Amino acid sequence: MKYWWKALGVLIILYILLVGMLTPLKTGILEASPANLHTGQEATLTVKGYNSNFTLEKEKLRAWLKMDSTRAIAATRIDVVDDREVKLTFPIPAYLPVDQPVKDFTLLIDSPADGASVLPGGLVVTQDSIDTTKGDLLWVNADISQLHEKQAFTFPYRNILYETIRNTYYHVPMWMAMFIILTAGVVFSIRFLWKANPDDDRKAMALTNVGLFLGILGIVTGAIWAKYTWGKFWSWDVKQNMTAIALLIYGAYFVLRGSFEDPEKKARISAVFNIFAYASLVPLLYIIPKLTDSLHPGAGGNIAFGSQDLDNTMKLVFRPAIIGWTLIGLWIAEIILRTARLRERLLED
Amino acid sequence: MNLFAQIYHLVRKEFTLEWRQKFAITGILLYVLSTVFIVYISFQNIGPQVWNVLFWVIMLFASVNAVLKSFVQESGYRQLYYYQLLHPIAILLSKMIYNAALLLLLGVLTFVALGFVAGNPVQEAGNFALALFLGSLGFSITFTFVSAIAAKADNSSTLMAILSFPVVIPILLLLVNLSAHAVGLLGGTEIWEKIMLLAAVDLILVALALVLFPFLWRD
Repeated sequence: MKYWWKALGVLIILYILLVGMLTPLKTGILEASPANLHTGQEATLTVKGYNSNFTLEKEKLRAWLKMDSTRAIAATRIDVVDDREVKLTFPIPAYLPVDQPVKDFTLLIDSPADGASVLPGGLVVTQDSIDTTKGDLLWVNADISQLHEKQAFTFPYRNILYETIRNTYYHVPMWMAMFIILTAGVVFSIRFLWKANPDDDRKAMALTNVGLFLGILGIVTGAIWAKYTWGKFWSWDVKQNMTAIALLIYGAYFVLRGSFEDPEKKARISAVFNIFAYASLVPLLYIIPKLTDSLHPGAGGNIAFGSQDLDNTMKLVFRPAIIGWTLIGLWIAEIILRTARLRERLLED
Repeated sequence: MNLFAQIYHLVRKEFTLEWRQKFAITGILLYVLSTVFIVYISFQNIGPQVWNVLFWVIMLFASVNAVLKSFVQESGYRQLYYYQLLHPIAILLSKMIYNAALLLLLGVLTFVALGFVAGNPVQEAGNFALALFLGSLGFSITFTFVSAIAAKADNSSTLMAILSFPVVIPILLLLVNLSAHAVGLLGGTEIWEKIMLLAAVDLILVALALVLFPFLWRD
């Protein structure tokens, strides 16, 4: 099996298509209304669930309003409407034990059937007057313990992201595959200057071509994702801008290639430009986004993928996806390379 | 002649050439002045943020025009003569040094002209001068090397813009960011981090240009 890596690439892409698309999301809370509550109120919240099964074991359903890591209010009444909707009643004390006029709470629902789900910071309680000592006296603390965890193969549920979390297997690995392939292209450019073998230049050209293609795919999948999560296809985001610059540079590489007749001169000068452009850009692609604020994860205080957002089930799909897209990219590059070789041979005859 | 003596003579040659054909340098200076004036009459009121960006954009375009001629200007035969007589690295370095000096002059002129019509928002003169120095150096290194590439092709002036602009954008972004500190738009202590980063980028590019130039000049 000489071409085992092509088969492996196809298998991985099939795997991420199937597993990435078919695995359900964890249970989550879509919204709770009303979102604005007052102190001294017996608040009844209508909570909409996502992928939830509230009617299963509904007498074991529990719910809390979490103020911070130690303090929470338990729900006194829980009325299940259907699988996707539940009404929760919380007695909110007349005074809160904090000195903020407006305090945000996190809603937490636990069910033996679905496991625990949260709506982080989704509810706001307004205090009419502040008295922390009375607040401390009135506070009935509920202990959050024995949370259930659903034993199933699921992807995490995140508000704002919802089902688009599956784009993690396309946008991010395509971007990484682009880096790997462009780097390989630069390596062949360096080898060409070293050994002056025309085939190395063809390899550099083929790899850079695929890198540019993956970059375009990465930017398009990213823009669609950005439309759903940030609201606009293009927000002044450092990483988006730097990617656009990278595409301009590699576009210029092909314009430069096109402006030479002599194949030896074309190969030599475009190899020089490829190395120079790569070195002037690529280190900065990593450094500049860290200096400026970005909407992307991993910059400007945002949570990075890999710490919290990428859980173990997602890693099972995400890590092979990097290899899969790189292998497919290499396959395309090989085809471009072979057509370039054939064209050369035709011209010689 | 050792390398330094060669560079010294070549830089002197560049200055003498420029001095003899004054129209080139006067052309660039007028280019800067008219761009500043066009920008001023279009904007009328220029706040610090816009001032900062405009300064570097005018610098960018003036620099491309100023540096473009470095390898295009002289005929192929004369260049062949230079390459036989002198070390190619001395030729590249002398052009970079000369262009850095020219761009520094252009930067000072842009600063004076823009400051004259639109006011001077610079609060930390030292930081701004440092940004201008590192900026001239970075622009000079990138544009000189790209002009050496572009000179090898036929449509060199179009190629110069499309090859050099994307390459120089990261430097431009750092410069705008750095001089935003000097203008008082950004606070914070990370300014030295950015200066070091810019200096490191300049250093990497000049080292790379020196390594790659031997592959470039030979035809």
